[in-house]
Amino acid sequence: MSYKPDESALMAYLYGELQGEEKRNVEKYLAENPEAMRNIQEMMGVRKILSVVEDKEVIAPPIVLDDFKQRYFWNTPYLKTVISIAASLMLLLVAGKVLDLRISVVDNVAQLSFGAPAVKAVDPAQPGLTAQQVQDMINNSVQSNNQIVQASWSESQKKIDASIRNNMAMNSNKFNDLVKEASKASEAQISGYVASLKNENQQLVKDYFKLTSNEQQKYIESLLVDFAKYMNQQRTSDLEAIQMRMVNMEQNTTLLKEETEQILASIISNSNTPVNTNTKSY
Amino acid sequence: MTETLLDIAMMHSDTLVTRAKQGDKNAQGKLVQLWYKRIYNFSYKFFLDHDLAMEASQKTFISMCRNIEGLQDIARFKSWIYKIAVNYCREEARKTKNSKSISIDKVYNVETEESPQWENSSIRNDNPEKQYQQTELSDILQKSLMELSAEQREVVIMKEFEGLKFREIAEVLNISENTVKSRMYYGLDGLKKILERRNITRETISYEL
Repeated sequence: MSYKPDESALMAYLYGELQGEEKRNVEKYLAENPEAMRNIQEMMGVRKILSVVEDKEVIAPPIVLDDFKQRYFWNTPYLKTVISIAASLMLLLVAGKVLDLRISVVDNVAQLSFGAPAVKAVDPAQPGLTAQQVQDMINNSVQSNNQIVQASWSESQKKIDASIRNNMAMNSNKFNDLVKEASKASEAQISGYVASLKNENQQLVKDYFKLTSNEQQKYIESLLVDFAKYMNQQRTSDLEAIQMRMVNMEQNTTLLKEETEQILASIISNSNTPVNTNTKSY
Repeated sequence: MTETLLDIAMMHSDTLVTRAKQGDKNAQGKLVQLWYKRIYNFSYKFFLDHDLAMEASQKTFISMCRNIEGLQDIARFKSWIYKIAVNYCREEARKTKNSKSISIDKVYNVETEESPQWENSSIRNDNPEKQYQQTELSDILQKSLMELSAEQREVVIMKEFEGLKFREIAEVLNISENTVKSRMYYGLDGLKKILERRNITRETISYEL
């Protein structure tokens, strides 16, 4: 058996795309070759398994095409910008017309105005006051003003002078009177005052000496009394102390006496007893 | 794979493709509606990541709407759209490989918990445990698929889940039919070994189900 189908033939057979002679050849070959048959059957198995996979449902989204053929001349962006600029200019022109906008340049002065420019009210040809006249008028008024001011000023100055003089005169008189009165009064007063001062001083010194001597006397007296009292007290306390000592000594001596008596008694009793005891012991 | 109304509509979408090719926006929108699920599922199996799959699918359909006017052969619409999808998938894979960021789905897989599969799967059976096991098994199988190389994975997904013919896959990937078949062979062989390692065989499955 020389025929051996290649992979493509086997695939064509597997998918049923072989016909006639070729198909029969492959079938014959497979029948005689269990190995190849098993291989094909396994591939069929794979196909069978794959058939489990199902299609996913999907909804076609709208396919949007930017259709460039539909773009006409009036849709081009350049034309659009040009037209829009022209339209805005037109709008400006119309607005200017409606508002009666005028732009004028006269003698280097640019003017933007709505409506006709206003007529100037000043007429340079009209005769008026000359500079000299104005000056004169000013001078006159200043002069009259000055005069009035001068008059009122001098008047008030006079008034002030007069009142000052009056005041001065009154004040000096009063002052003089006062000084005179004061000088008269002072002589008598001073002599009186000095005399009274003298007397007062004398009295004061006397009183002072009297008072001080009294005080001193009293003080010395009290001092002496105090000292005497102190001495007395001291003496009494000393005496008390001596008495106390004496009492103590007396007590001591009595105690001693008693002790000695006792000791003596005990010695005596001791001297008597040992015989007894001795006799008793032996 | 049981044919749904959608599948039947897809098979008879030639007139729709023709109209879309003529610039009919409505027809293009309907094509997106028809094919979105297929392309999304292809991308999802390729990445096993919802966000990346959505990204790739959306790019695929934006590209489809832009370039459908240049489609030569209406009969080759299927391989044409898969070709776009494969290219975007590869591009996204390159990007994520460089950025090294971990999708939140990998850390906390919300997809398995909140996927619409739960709501829509009520028709499948009335046994929740069985249903859960099937979902679990489906996850394991898709993870096994991820262990294959990208080349083998592309071929296996297109052949096994998208039902493309070897000729169509060859067109999509721009390689010879024999290379496609060879990749398929080694892909299946690899899957067989992976499943054996995970102790998943026909017997264990039939026991579980």
